Amino acid sequence: MKRFTRLASTVVLAVAVTMPLAASAADRSVKVLGWGAKSGPLKSFGVNSEAALRSAIAQINAAGGVKLGDGSLAPLEVVSYEDSACKKDQNIAILRKTASTTDAIVGMGATCSGSCQAMYGVLQKKIDDTSDSGVQMPILSDTCIRPGLAKISEWAFRNVPNEVDMYDKLFAWLRSENPGVKTFSGGTETDQGHSFITHTAIIVQAAVRHGFEWVGPSVPELGPKVKQGMKELQAAAKTQHWLMGDTNYSVQARKIKKQNPDMILVSSHPFSACGFLKEMQRRKVKPKLLVGLTSSASQETLNGCMSAAEGLIIPTGFAPITPEAVSANEIVSEAGGFLDLHSAAAWENAYLVKTAVEKAGISATSDTVAEDRRKFRDALASISATAGLIGPVTRDGATGEASKPYVYVQVVNGEWKVIHDPRG
Amino acid sequence: MDYFLNLINTIGIHTLLGLSAYVLLLTGQLSLAQAGFFAVGAYTAAILTVIFGWNILPAIGLGMLSTGSLAFLVGFPALRVRGLMLVVATLAFGEFVRMFFYNFEWRVIQEGVEVGPEGTMGFSEIRYFAEHGWTNWEVTSLIWVFVVIVMALIWWADQTRSGAVLRAVGEDELAAGTVGIDVMVTKVAAMTVGGVIAGLAGGLYAHQITMLDHHAFTVLLATFAIAYPILGGVSSVFGTLVAVIFIQGLLVEGLRFLGDWRMLLFGALIVVVMNVKPRGLFDSQMLRWIKNALRLRFSRGLS
Amino acid sequence: MDDFWFEFVEITQSIGDGFLFGSTYALIGIGFTLIFGAMGKLNIAYAATAMAGAYSSLAIFIFFDASLIIIFIVSAASAAILGYLVYLSCFRFIPVHNHLAAMMASVGGLFFIDEVIVHTTRGSPLSFPSMFAEAYFEVGPYGIRGDLLFVFVIGLISTGALLYVLFRTRLGLATRAVAQQDVAARLCGMSIHSTNSTTFAVAGLLGGIAGAMTAAAVGILSPVMMLPLTIKGLIVTVIGGLGSIPGAIIAGLFVGSFENVVMYVRGIDERDMYVVALLFVFLIFRPNGLFGKTITRD
Repeated sequence: MKRFTRLASTVVLAVAVTMPLAASAADRSVKVLGWGAKSGPLKSFGVNSEAALRSAIAQINAAGGVKLGDGSLAPLEVVSYEDSACKKDQNIAILRKTASTTDAIVGMGATCSGSCQAMYGVLQKKIDDTSDSGVQMPILSDTCIRPGLAKISEWAFRNVPNEVDMYDKLFAWLRSENPGVKTFSGGTETDQGHSFITHTAIIVQAAVRHGFEWVGPSVPELGPKVKQGMKELQAAAKTQHWLMGDTNYSVQARKIKKQNPDMILVSSHPFSACGFLKEMQRRKVKPKLLVGLTSSASQETLNGCMSAAEGLIIPTGFAPITPEAVSANEIVSEAGGFLDLHSAAAWENAYLVKTAVEKAGISATSDTVAEDRRKFRDALASISATAGLIGPVTRDGATGEASKPYVYVQVVNGEWKVIHDPRG
Repeated sequence: MDYFLNLINTIGIHTLLGLSAYVLLLTGQLSLAQAGFFAVGAYTAAILTVIFGWNILPAIGLGMLSTGSLAFLVGFPALRVRGLMLVVATLAFGEFVRMFFYNFEWRVIQEGVEVGPEGTMGFSEIRYFAEHGWTNWEVTSLIWVFVVIVMALIWWADQTRSGAVLRAVGEDELAAGTVGIDVMVTKVAAMTVGGVIAGLAGGLYAHQITMLDHHAFTVLLATFAIAYPILGGVSSVFGTLVAVIFIQGLLVEGLRFLGDWRMLLFGALIVVVMNVKPRGLFDSQMLRWIKNALRLRFSRGLS
Repeated sequence: MDDFWFEFVEITQSIGDGFLFGSTYALIGIGFTLIFGAMGKLNIAYAATAMAGAYSSLAIFIFFDASLIIIFIVSAASAAILGYLVYLSCFRFIPVHNHLAAMMASVGGLFFIDEVIVHTTRGSPLSFPSMFAEAYFEVGPYGIRGDLLFVFVIGLISTGALLYVLFRTRLGLATRAVAQQDVAARLCGMSIHSTNSTTFAVAGLLGGIAGAMTAAAVGILSPVMMLPLTIKGLIVTVIGGLGSIPGAIIAGLFVGSFENVVMYVRGIDERDMYVVALLFVFLIFRPNGLFGKTITRD
């Protein structure tokens, strides 16, 4: 009897001691807060990224969650997913709200490049710089794609494709596959920073470097060794450009038809790209090759101009070509969004967060938020490779940017089809 | 705290923007040009702190001077038109300013890095506050010292003859002219003062947001600028403050928990407010009510 | 000499294209001018109701595969209903002399309509069917878009119908009477509110046609079109002369041609600046616009 009592009391004691520990581990969760454009013309970006992020985190939690510094497991928790409406002041408000009123160790947003630029400017520029009173919280972005932003702050990280590399390889491949294509021209929307700079400083230059001949208005200094400058190209090519909300593309289409290029570039978001493509369709302009902007490799382009966009080729960071990609696509579709190169990055970011958390060894309690954020940032900066949905992603800790695998897709019979897969 | 201070800063800056339109509204001029002056003030102050390394106070000061001069020049042609035509003319002017900055480029190499406005790409890393270690409280204090001074000046002017002159011109130009008020001088003066206040708001805004581009200075911002005095009512400067708190505090930030519904309610609530209180949230009725309440307080205290 | 002829052809082609496209601006301008002339009020939500009409017709097309005639009719009808609703919510109950409150309410209406559209479509651009999309006539060195020609003709017919209603029917008489002197009109037994609401509905009809026309001309509908159309409509209204329907028509066609020619000659960066400069020139030298007023208040 005594032995039984002693055994029983030992068991009860053991349970009583471990219960609070188990309970506190269960209470702790690693918090993140996401935001994107959930209202306004870019609403679908925010909706898709949220669906992707929440779905990925649900998967991670279903598989056990993330490991904390003391070895226990805790779930990842999305505190909320806010609407930043592509407005800089709202993005900064959400950033400051996350940093100062929540325990989130990382902010995951935003959608628009201008918003990211403003947000990163508010962060502390260099870690350990005590004279800099900027915000000290890591931000991991999935959609804002304008080149060279993350270097604004050492707390800023992005998981977006490297457009310089993508277009360079694309034109190299197009060159080898299409020996009959010699000349090219094209246009962009000049009031959108991302479209404009990608067109003038990246796409056009990559095409020129690979032997295509620009037949737009003549530009001084345009040649194989051209510098990455914009003013010269802009000055000469003004008449092929348009504004994001334009409704009349007749002058542009006429000019390009006259140039009669073999290849045409349409570096524009879906609305104006479709406007221009439809105008070209009306005037029966049929180039041998049609190349578009990364952001238009999505459902929106098909919604807007399925037939006019036929043949459009775009390099993209996502297509359902691996088992992971296919299953993620299904899961996110059920959650009410769809995966494209932007929202797929949000999915991958959830797993990147898991990797970084486990590398950082954080405590995930309310008292240790500042240290956790710092440890997380350092861990994130030290990660040089992760698994993306369509292949391994390499990261550069110094700049906070990623180098992602990509494929080339083309609109074939009203759907995006992968036409070339340059992954190793 | 950081979040609330940031919200208070935004409210402060938008109050200044609203006050710049308020002064003009008193004289009966509905101006959509305030966003244009705001932009000029923002870019000027930012260029001075980033490219020339100026201290923020003189930078904002020079910004105010330049927008004031610009507003003075705009005031004269604005005299020729009235009503809807003035609205469209000032809207067009605001758009013209925005297009100017969409083309404007001034790049300088600083410590091996290119900085400065770059046309459509914008002007980023305006980090004066963070670089000089300003705490959130210090930034908020700076902004609100200006807001309080401007509000006090306008309120005080309203108690004196200047306020009466402005309002007289706003009510009936012909009658005002017959009692000897120089309508032209009054209107141009109002436009200039409005321009100075908008330039001040812009200079503060540039440093709060750290990045400027032409997207920030659209018709939308101009509409907000006049929305504040209209929603708040022209009875008192506090009306504009109340309207800013209503829009930025309640509608934009306060309704965040509604998720998707927030932006839908935004428009709907403005319609409702205008129907329920067409003279503004802080109209003369509200003013009388407050005065009565204060009078009761004091009279009780005395007896 | 060859060069000159070549440039001449290009410039007249640009003028022609812009002219045809300008008929969409003209209709939006007429809508603004009608409401301003009749009531002295500015309805900022006007272009938004026009586009909402186009969206409704697109929905009918997608779900019921309606023919293109039906699309224009549905667009006009739904924009008319929306116009009436805007009148009810933003103008009916606000004191008549308070122009600012009504205008501000219509701004709220614009935001609301824009957000409803974004909510239903997730902001995605949507392909809009167009009549005669394949028609493209080559006349000598010129090419004329058949569908733009059709859009222009519809514009002419709508304007003609509007003028007929205004000057040959009792409704039009009532509208003009209320516009000129509402006190006298009331004394004669006319209901201000029912007249004004009809004006809004008629303006909405025009707007719906304009919205569908613009969407058909571009081939796509997107919420980003709303603000530029509102601004252009306002500029056209002012250049044409407030309250003048022929003024709005001519101004719309003129602005359309002008901006297209500037686009050809100077490029995208300066195009809108020139349109603004044109407006300023008018405001300085001819503040009342091209024409006086057809529908005015005392």
